[in-house]
Amino acid sequence: MHPAPSIILFTVLSGFGFGLISIVGLLQFLNQISTVDIVIFSVIGLFFSIIGLISSFFHLANKKNAIKSMSQWQTSWLSREAISSIFCLSIVVGNIGWVFVQNRYINEVGIILFLLSLFTIFTTSMIYAQLKTVPSWNNLLTPALFIFTALAGGSILLLDYASLVLLLIFAVLQVLFWYIADQSFIYKETSVGTALGFSKNEDIRAFDVAHTNRNYLLNEMVYKVARKHAIKIRYISFFAAFVLPMLLILMFPSNFSVSVFVIGIHFVGIYFSRWLFFAEAKHSVSFYYN
Amino acid sequence: MTKLPKCEDKKLGLLIDLDTCVGCHGCVVSCKEWNSSGGEKQLSDINSHQKGPVGTFLNRVHSYERENSCTNEAETFYFPRSCLHCEDAPCVTVCPTGASYKREEDGIVLVNEYDCMGCGLCAWACPYGARELDLVSGVMKKCTLCVDRIYSEELPPEDRVPVCVKSCPTGARAFGDFNDPNSDVSKKVKERGGVDLMPEMQTKPVNKYLLPRIKSKNSVSSVGSVVEEETDATGLLGWVDRALSKF
Repeated sequence: MHPAPSIILFTVLSGFGFGLISIVGLLQFLNQISTVDIVIFSVIGLFFSIIGLISSFFHLANKKNAIKSMSQWQTSWLSREAISSIFCLSIVVGNIGWVFVQNRYINEVGIILFLLSLFTIFTTSMIYAQLKTVPSWNNLLTPALFIFTALAGGSILLLDYASLVLLLIFAVLQVLFWYIADQSFIYKETSVGTALGFSKNEDIRAFDVAHTNRNYLLNEMVYKVARKHAIKIRYISFFAAFVLPMLLILMFPSNFSVSVFVIGIHFVGIYFSRWLFFAEAKHSVSFYYN
Repeated sequence: MTKLPKCEDKKLGLLIDLDTCVGCHGCVVSCKEWNSSGGEKQLSDINSHQKGPVGTFLNRVHSYERENSCTNEAETFYFPRSCLHCEDAPCVTVCPTGASYKREEDGIVLVNEYDCMGCGLCAWACPYGARELDLVSGVMKKCTLCVDRIYSEELPPEDRVPVCVKSCPTGARAFGDFNDPNSDVSKKVKERGGVDLMPEMQTKPVNKYLLPRIKSKNSVSSVGSVVEEETDATGLLGWVDRALSKF
């Protein structure tokens, strides 16, 4: 699949933003956070979520109809994502206003924010996980990875050792995701044979191209990535998203300026991880162009 | 609405015979022509007369080769690929704006271009690559089964079929109601064993394909029988052959 920067930035930034909001919400529910911190970190979360959503807007080819994307929540995960994110961000804004004016907070609002922001991340992941056409996405690991990526990123600024646990869970899921994506069994049912109506093992090769130049399908869904680079990028991603942040947090616990630096490195790692998420995914239409 | 209808009254679709298709791209050209002329609907081209032309098409013809299990020779066949108007169309349910829909009366899957925001998710959801985003208008394009022809009262009755069916010079494409067991397409599917593409995707395509039949060893089209060396020529050629063989 085509790794469009607008989509990668959307999933990375809004994922981090909603991850941060969910951690703030959890701490607010547990009475473990000051009113000043709620305002500061909610504003940061809000900022990243909105930048992410704006970035996704630039992916649209017909932007004037974007508002209509809120209408089909009964069947469409993308529609649910749009509604859920707007709803969640409205509550965040309300919570910030309440805390700022009253200088105290309502615990119950915290748990609502926690669940709603997790649900928003889940809906984002389901946009990809629902697609039977991309078997490496079409499993429960995709939502699990998206949710724990967001929680790990969001926790770096606010939690010390607890963020190490979340980073560790993220790292395990990430490795598992890459491992599963590499297994040929996820494409076990589809082949050029079944794509053309024959049996799975029918020996068929493309004889001539259907068109003389690239087209939308090839640009969007038959993205070829150099496999040798893919492995290198996995190492870079894993090192930047997990190993370095882990070491820095262990060496400098509770150091806010280090945390900000760690977030920067973590972003680079997650960006590469998401790039691979798209670039390595194989869509069933590619069988027609085998 | 992006909810799929519970049951359609009719299941209109195409039956494509890969044994008959000669890969002329006539359906591709006529489809592009019909869907680019008149009204607001356009299938745009970029750089159409320069280097690197790209365009939107609703139909593409691929060609493949496979080994004949009987003669062990390679055989080519052509494969027109377009929307299959699936019963469980995943492109419809993923649509966030409600632009994609499946008609209850005849099962045709359509895009309302006034609602489409060009996110491209429906093209990702389609296993068959049947949807292409038009790069000029920014909305999703797909086969309409020529909904503006098949119900048209201005066209003579014999022209009320999709233009790809009308234009096919070998009659490799047939149009009909797959819900009606007595329709020509249903009978042919039964008789020849029509197949679904990628049944494992559980999309339940309406369009069916008839696969190329395996040609027998004695068939004229077998490469060996055509290019065999002529050894027992008679008449003038036989005399030339015998005369030249002496040297």
